[in-house]
Amino acid sequence: MKQDTAAKMMIISACAFFGLALTMGILTALKFVVPTVGDIEYLSMPRLRMLHTNINLFGWLLQANMGILFWILPRILHTKLFSEKLGVAMGILYNLTMIGGLIGIATGHVKNVEYGEIPSPFDYLVAVCWVMFFINVVGTVAIRKVKYLYVTVWYTLGAVIWTTFVYITGNMLSQMPMVDGTNQANLIWFYVHNAVGLIFTPLGVAIAYYLIPKQLNTPIYSHKLSMIGFWVISFVYVWTGAHHMIHGPSPHWLQTVSIIFSFSLIIPVMAVITNFFGTFATAPRGTRMNGPIPKLLMMGTVYYIFTCLQGPFQAIRSVNEITSKTDWVVGHAHMALFGAFSYYAMAGVYYVAPKLAGRKLYSEKLGDLHFWIMTLASVPFFAVLWIGGVIQGFAWLNPEITFVQSLEALKHAHWMRFFSGAFIFGAYFLFFYNIMQTFFGKYREEDEAEAVVAE
Amino acid sequence: MKIDVEKSLLWTATGAFLLFAVGAVLTTVVPPMVNPEMWTTEHTVHEYTEQEKRGIAIYKSEGCVYCHTQQIRDLESDQRRYGWRLVNAPVSSSWEYVNDRYNFLGTKRTGPDLARVGGKYSSEWHWAHFKDPRNMGEKFPNRKGIYEKVSIMPSFDYLTDEEIKDLTAYIQTLGRNKNWRVNAEGQPLNDYEK
Ligand code: HEC
Repeated sequence: MKQDTAAKMMIISACAFFGLALTMGILTALKFVVPTVGDIEYLSMPRLRMLHTNINLFGWLLQANMGILFWILPRILHTKLFSEKLGVAMGILYNLTMIGGLIGIATGHVKNVEYGEIPSPFDYLVAVCWVMFFINVVGTVAIRKVKYLYVTVWYTLGAVIWTTFVYITGNMLSQMPMVDGTNQANLIWFYVHNAVGLIFTPLGVAIAYYLIPKQLNTPIYSHKLSMIGFWVISFVYVWTGAHHMIHGPSPHWLQTVSIIFSFSLIIPVMAVITNFFGTFATAPRGTRMNGPIPKLLMMGTVYYIFTCLQGPFQAIRSVNEITSKTDWVVGHAHMALFGAFSYYAMAGVYYVAPKLAGRKLYSEKLGDLHFWIMTLASVPFFAVLWIGGVIQGFAWLNPEITFVQSLEALKHAHWMRFFSGAFIFGAYFLFFYNIMQTFFGKYREEDEAEAVVAE
Repeated sequence: MKIDVEKSLLWTATGAFLLFAVGAVLTTVVPPMVNPEMWTTEHTVHEYTEQEKRGIAIYKSEGCVYCHTQQIRDLESDQRRYGWRLVNAPVSSSWEYVNDRYNFLGTKRTGPDLARVGGKYSSEWHWAHFKDPRNMGEKFPNRKGIYEKVSIMPSFDYLTDEEIKDLTAYIQTLGRNKNWRVNAEGQPLNDYEK
């Protein structure tokens, strides 16, 4: 089978799913201002929300990351993918599973697992795909032609191992008959938080660790920091799930443990970020920000800092009293999964797609435009969620204000979210068009020739 | 023998797994062992009827949890806001949930918390509310004005009459494990099926 078929297939379908996910997002945002639009069962707000999160997490982000890594890993390890056939089979199964799972969600067949609503048997099939991915990753590492494992490989290995347990705990164990009440809630929050922390963080960071030095043509700033970042995150991330229940009906000690570990997360995050910025700082000045790839990597890193400083801050009991359960948390989640990790994934797609197509990116200019529109729209998008969240949080403290009055105060914030979201949605099409043109479009032949030489 | 972790697939993988496993076990398996109230209790906890169980299934598939939490946190503001006739709502305890096959504690309050909503409204009120939260008809005149403008709860008009009844039956159980709404003499009201 032709090399990189799996990577190509997964990247293309991930990009398509991204559009679908954003469509669900913009519809959800619209429902917050005009709740009566599309007043039918399949378009009710919770269904849209579940589709939005699941398509983003699994259809787009996970799939894009897997596709990009299918391309990156063999390059770092100087070998071929362990089994291209297995990769393609997994890609096909994965996409069919997604479609089945999403139809399940749209028709109301859901699990009570946030981020894991995909019903069985589709969730089990996701796990099967994951095992296939696992085999391919470990196999590729095993047949490598280099001695040392680069940071990207550590993070990928970590992710495939951790995720296996995290996914099974959240989606399967939490649904076992003897697991109920707050015990179930604890398992589910273990999953929800670690889906972000031990699936998307390591995969995103793995990709950035490859792309930043490659793109800037500068070695990574500090090998020691890479090690500290990786080993500390392996230990501390997993403890933090219970910070979703601060002040709630779960054991007090567990909440305290999660708060302490939420704070320790500053260590690995700062190690990673110092490393990334250090690499940017030591890169050749004139060209380091050319084109969409370094811009996306830089902005993704900035958003990564913000999310990761917000995390410990929100876990402080007194702050949590204001921010928890409000729109603030929605802003926080978007900054991690959209701001940081989708930015890394888009950078990865911009980097890998031309390689897969064997020619230059269709248009760097269009890529820049996509970056600027998306970024300038995402700033007010996040900000308005945080501001709205704080307004809400303080309104709830005041017994004079009824619940609906607090909703009234958010009307403007929700409109702002819709409009800034619409710009993000619009910018996506520039990205999609650019990538599709790169793969399938017809454009000037000399560019093509040049790209092949550059290989 | 010197082990060079960075050259070894086995050592990197084992190391990453072991470090992770410590936290994973201590935060998932250990809590129910040291805090049995997470899954068992001496208190009497309401057993759901068949109808209420159908209501739970609807609550789950309609995703009410994405807008409503079911937990009175240990905060004065929660207790007061979700109280009733100037009586503060009691804080939610772990044991109240032991019969909840599916937990709906939730993380987002787009709408009010529902942990103590059982019995606060009549089933007729819920009926009208599920049909159209923005226009509950002449019978509930205090729901005019601001609600029409800002309630963003979806109307669950597409549910069948049976389904709305099942869902309401479930909603009316919420909070009854702590029989907290009392009459003037301090006797529990126990008026959940009204
Ligand atoms: C889009 C978010 C949203 C969804 C989804 C939603 N609600 Fe609501 N709900 C609200 C809002 C906002 C209010 C407050 C305004 C009102 O009373 O209409 C509310 C109010 C309520 C109330 C009255 C609470 C009180 O104390 O006054 C109940 C009961 C309720 N919802 C039950 C449900 C159930 C059951 C479902 C699922 C079938 C559901 N809601 C789905 C947003 C939502």
